[in-house]
Amino acid sequence: MLRNPALSCLSLIVLTLSGPLAVLRGANEAATPVAPAPEATPEAGKIAFSGEQIEFFEKEVRPLLAESCLDCHTGTSAKVGLELNHREGWLSGSDYRKVVDLEKPGESVLIKSVLHSGEKGIPSMPEKGEKLSPDAVAKLTTWIGMGLPWPAYDEAEKGTDPSQHWSFQPVKPDALPADAGHPIDYFVSKTRAKAGVVPAGRADRYTLYRRAHFALLGLPPQFEEMEKFITDPGKHEEAWPALVDQLLASPAYGERWARLWMDVARYADTKGYEGAGRERRFIYSYTYRDWLIRSMNEDLPYDQFLLYQLAAEQIVDPASADKKHLAALGFLSLSRNGNQDEILDDRVDTTFRGTMALTVSCAKCHDHKFDPISTKEYYSLYGIFLNSLTQDTPVIGEPKLGPEYDKYLADLAGVQKEVDDFLKPVLEKLAKEHPDLAGQADKLKAKIDREDRRKLNNLEGKVQKFIADAGMEADKAIILKDRDKPINQHVFIRGNAGRRGDLAPRQFLAIASEGGVPKEFTKGSGRLEMAKEIVRPGNPLTARNIVNRVWMWHFGEGIVRTVDDFGLQGERPDHPELLDWLANWFIENDWSLKKLNHLIVTSETWQQQSTNAKATENMLVDSENRLLWKFNKKRLELEQMRDGMLEVAGNLDHEMFGRPVNILEPPYVNRRSVYAFIDRQNLNPTFRNFDFSNPQETTGKRPSTTIPMQALFTLNNPFVQDQGENLAKKTATAEDRIAELHRAVFAKAPSESDRQLAESFVTVFASETARMGKRQTNTEWSYGWGSVDEATGKVTFQPFEHWIKETWQVGKERPLKDNPLSYLYVDANGAGHPGYTEKESLIYEWRAPADLRVAVSGFVHRSNVGKGNGVRVKVATSSGGIVFDKVLDPAKDKLEVTIPELNVASHEVVYFIVDPHEKNSSFDSIRWNPELSDLDNKWPKWELAESYSGPATPASAWGAYAQALLNTNRFLFVD
Amino acid sequence: MNGYTSRRQFLQRAGMGMGAIGLSPLLSALQAGDRSLNPLAPGKTHFAPRAKRVIHIFANGGPSQVDSFDYKPSLAKYDGKEMPGDGLKTERKTGALMKSPFHFSQHGQCGLWASDLFPKVSAMADDLCVINSMYANVPNHEPSLMLMNTGAERVNLVRPSVGSWITYGLGTENENLPGFVSLCPGGVPIVETQNWRSAFLPGAYQGAHIDTKNTLISKLIPDIRNPRMPRELQRRQLDLIQEMNRQDAGEGAIDPAAEARMHSLELAYKMQIEATDAFNVEREPAHIRELYGDTLHGRQMLIARRLVERGVRFVQVWHGAGQPWDSHSEIAKGHGRLGAEADQPIAALLLDLKQRGLLEDTLVIWGGEFGRTPTVELPTPGANDANTKMGRDHNHHGFSMWMAGGGTKGGLQYGKTDEFGFKAVENPMHVHDLHATILHLLGFDHEKLTYRYAGRDFRLTDVHGHVFHDLIA
Repeated sequence: MLRNPALSCLSLIVLTLSGPLAVLRGANEAATPVAPAPEATPEAGKIAFSGEQIEFFEKEVRPLLAESCLDCHTGTSAKVGLELNHREGWLSGSDYRKVVDLEKPGESVLIKSVLHSGEKGIPSMPEKGEKLSPDAVAKLTTWIGMGLPWPAYDEAEKGTDPSQHWSFQPVKPDALPADAGHPIDYFVSKTRAKAGVVPAGRADRYTLYRRAHFALLGLPPQFEEMEKFITDPGKHEEAWPALVDQLLASPAYGERWARLWMDVARYADTKGYEGAGRERRFIYSYTYRDWLIRSMNEDLPYDQFLLYQLAAEQIVDPASADKKHLAALGFLSLSRNGNQDEILDDRVDTTFRGTMALTVSCAKCHDHKFDPISTKEYYSLYGIFLNSLTQDTPVIGEPKLGPEYDKYLADLAGVQKEVDDFLKPVLEKLAKEHPDLAGQADKLKAKIDREDRRKLNNLEGKVQKFIADAGMEADKAIILKDRDKPINQHVFIRGNAGRRGDLAPRQFLAIASEGGVPKEFTKGSGRLEMAKEIVRPGNPLTARNIVNRVWMWHFGEGIVRTVDDFGLQGERPDHPELLDWLANWFIENDWSLKKLNHLIVTSETWQQQSTNAKATENMLVDSENRLLWKFNKKRLELEQMRDGMLEVAGNLDHEMFGRPVNILEPPYVNRRSVYAFIDRQNLNPTFRNFDFSNPQETTGKRPSTTIPMQALFTLNNPFVQDQGENLAKKTATAEDRIAELHRAVFAKAPSESDRQLAESFVTVFASETARMGKRQTNTEWSYGWGSVDEATGKVTFQPFEHWIKETWQVGKERPLKDNPLSYLYVDANGAGHPGYTEKESLIYEWRAPADLRVAVSGFVHRSNVGKGNGVRVKVATSSGGIVFDKVLDPAKDKLEVTIPELNVASHEVVYFIVDPHEKNSSFDSIRWNPELSDLDNKWPKWELAESYSGPATPASAWGAYAQALLNTNRFLFVD
Repeated sequence: MNGYTSRRQFLQRAGMGMGAIGLSPLLSALQAGDRSLNPLAPGKTHFAPRAKRVIHIFANGGPSQVDSFDYKPSLAKYDGKEMPGDGLKTERKTGALMKSPFHFSQHGQCGLWASDLFPKVSAMADDLCVINSMYANVPNHEPSLMLMNTGAERVNLVRPSVGSWITYGLGTENENLPGFVSLCPGGVPIVETQNWRSAFLPGAYQGAHIDTKNTLISKLIPDIRNPRMPRELQRRQLDLIQEMNRQDAGEGAIDPAAEARMHSLELAYKMQIEATDAFNVEREPAHIRELYGDTLHGRQMLIARRLVERGVRFVQVWHGAGQPWDSHSEIAKGHGRLGAEADQPIAALLLDLKQRGLLEDTLVIWGGEFGRTPTVELPTPGANDANTKMGRDHNHHGFSMWMAGGGTKGGLQYGKTDEFGFKAVENPMHVHDLHATILHLLGFDHEKLTYRYAGRDFRLTDVHGHVFHDLIA
């Protein structure tokens, strides 16, 4: 990986450059400029500083230090052991004493020293050179008062040993005192107390239950269960853990937690980009997803969970029932396609970022700039995957035998025969040309020329497509196998495959190996040995990585916020003691994710309210809630939202497992989102509009954005509207329908105010709908035909009944000879044609949505200039009769139709009428796009072409109400 | 200085001297642009920008430079003769030099040599900044498209597109529209949606693909219209939602994310009107529609203008699905037809932007992923059609692009290819340099517009790219 060494520095100094996500910013902005930095002690770990503070240091302080101090006070040879070239040096002071006082910066020994105070035992500094100016001393004092802001990027350059970085140190759990209480709360409250922030109280049972339901199952709770829990007279300390156990036992748990891991595994059902003709689907990707769901539900110990995903085929007896575990290899095999180098790099990256939060791939072209990972080590790992490239798809399930399956096999044989028939003569010809290769089909195949290869690819693609479409094959696992005779990988110098460096023996990373010395792998590719190194309890990263991710999946942020980078460029843990304690506890508790979830969810830290009465004060110290003084309110993720809508509407299909389904396009399926077909190359944009993970690469933390496209989906997408209507249907016979709907959607009874809002909404919506009558479209416009009575101005209007190829017309076909009505139509541009006589005039109808003063404008265009007798154009209103009446002269190509001011009452109708004129409809094709503008400027313009649409499927009042409930923050957020 | 204020800073600002933070200051702060809540809030540039928005007209497939903007009299002179010296490697086998079937003449006060493939665009010569010395890395569509659109030619590398980078940097000027729109009629180009993907940048920066072949406005943007209730009823529904949200928010309670969502509901409501309006070329007076021409390309170029006029940051206009400009055979016919389709709409766009004063800060870019060989492509079994004749192969060694407006120098013809138009030899400009220069015009130092991901700070130009100041007015 090429990299400009200047990049990382620049992006941190000039904060404009960093991204909108907290991950990017967090490290440098947590402290506020108005209050002294909290816990400015070395043992509290690294402090994060704001961009302004860092800038102050860079501009004002660093030059001063370089000029006056660092000549003598740098590194290990610093005078009196006082190292002023890094922050820790300032904090630890000289061999004799502390030199700074963060609370009273003016009292610092160092300040007194540069002031030449002459106090006993305080030498005047600098020894050589000029005394500092008062301005310089003031700046130094201010800087000490800020808590010595120092940029993180210096760390890599300051010459300290990167292997001493926190995450590479063994996990060292502190012992818990006997009266610690819940261990999580013990650690969190200790840190909180030190900083002086006040925790929020425990949330109420309603909030807790809903939160736990979404967190553990990804689904909303049901009212009856909710009531049972809320009214449970038992002590919370007993009722709550019992309830959590119950949730953990639900099969839905596996569906939620598998999907979380699928972000890490960059799960997709397609390989990515492929040339024309080739099948992109994996066909059996789903067996990996199903294995994840089962493993989560069975609480497969996490070390086993990883071993299977990295080397199942070397552990499992394929003849035993354990063969189901072969599907776990999807973690590696479902990688993004590309050339061999790209596939291998993707596997190295997914494995090490995913399981150890290490950005090993940064060492592909040069030694890692920040972390102690050499290029040679990268190629050691790369070599393991290089020797694991052989793919196979052993059967792990049973086909659904029967006549359907037999037919499938017969059809498949037919498609396969096309390949064989094509290949046979090609190979025969090649065999003649290459007698030395006779009988070696694979080698002959390699000689196929470009044109034949293209044809062959197409035919083979057809076979794959047939298999994928049919979905009849027995479940298979996509596995990797080791090369029979492993080969050794050379370092590619600067990542260039053409420039070979040293051999890189297959072995593990030094920083995570026992005693820092990796042993060369000897079994096949070494993949199993690698997997065992990853899950070795002494590996400092693996357990920390997973407990941190689980923490993030609960709280929205990890204890280490850069969840997939524990290296020197990543953030440090906000609660290092907690992280280590949890990591160790996790290993001691059989690597059980369910136990870990239980532990977290039963902590008071997790059970806090998402609001805090002391929020304003807490914010001043810790605006990002790093100290966990409240729970983080979260918007539902795409899957939680979609599954939740289906669930509350009573429409969720709880069937588990199986081939992926298309969830965002009609006809909508009601399976859980974990079963969604994930197209790696052309993911439906709605997924990413809702911050779904990028299936191209392993995802640590999904972004969290709010954009109008999300609201367009929840307001306008037929899927959401269907759930509203389903809810309406489900509650149609309820005695207290409002209450039923609220119970279904929120698992809660409505408040008095909810009832009032509901009643008034439903009443008005229903009456407005009734006043509109049966509508042809959902817009203000209708299209049809009829006539206007010249004397009374009364219009008879008959809406078109047929919507064919985006045209409204009278019959199914048009035009038909001798059928005057069949000539009538209108299309998206306002183009249309009247019937034979004024009785079959073409009419566009516009209905006023409110009392309005409008102006009408537009032109009637006619292309057949000079032919026929023109058309007669009229405008009429339902109350005022004809307000415009003119003939479009056959010699002209257009007629302007303007009415400067027209008063219309709500629901009054304006008719735009085209009469063929004197019963002669020849050459009467016209185009009319009338516009109406609100003269009081409250409404946007109406225009036929813009609103043109097909038949209405009107929302019912209760359906619209229920859909509104699904659109509330109350539903879409978890408190 | 910091364009992306943190939630903390924002709350402090909003809460200054107020005790409790109410709804309206929060909303106004949202509008003022807190990026932690609204990823599309206007971003800050590194220095004063010359261009505020970009229209990239993508002649996908590879338009021929020697038939458009790179005049080589020697081609006519040596027509049918072998090119002297060592031939350059391209995708397929080519033969002798082939003269252009198009006629070249000089245009504008600057005297730009251009062919009659683009007569109306050429008439705007004094506004064009023509680069004759572009080059890329390989003569294949997929990698070259990726290079032009993402700065990374490996198809399987996961990199954000140029439009995503620019939207990430600049946000949008109009929250009622997507920040980045990709217009492509009839389907998608090769490599598909990857051309406008946001990759590891948040989904808010992905390009919204719009198939301009659709004439029904409601079909252009997914979910842009409510299919089941008229506007006034939808407003009532929205009012109900917002009232419940307001009541739930309570007094003094602060939750920026929940309130950001309330704001986005209103934006979505407005977007329904504004977006359909933006795509409605019927709103244009007749003389403007005539200027662009009543064709698919006229309509989509007009849509492009309406979009940038309304504050969309980056509009990419593709010639069509697949790779239309890929004239391996019969270039006179192929290019002739494509030029006829594109010439008037593009010229109209330039003229129209200019007369509205928009060209000054709108950067228009025209070009393909590479150019074509000055030599004729030969029929080669297994590689192309046996009837291949009078066409040109892909050529990444040298090709032409032009820019207009947005702070570029009009009437400039920059760089040179060799005598036959094969290879860039004077002031060669790599695609990375083009990206660096585009970002510069937009007010960004391309080395500093970065995004931290997977332990590394990524940028559009990776470790490459130089700003070509000669092109800047």
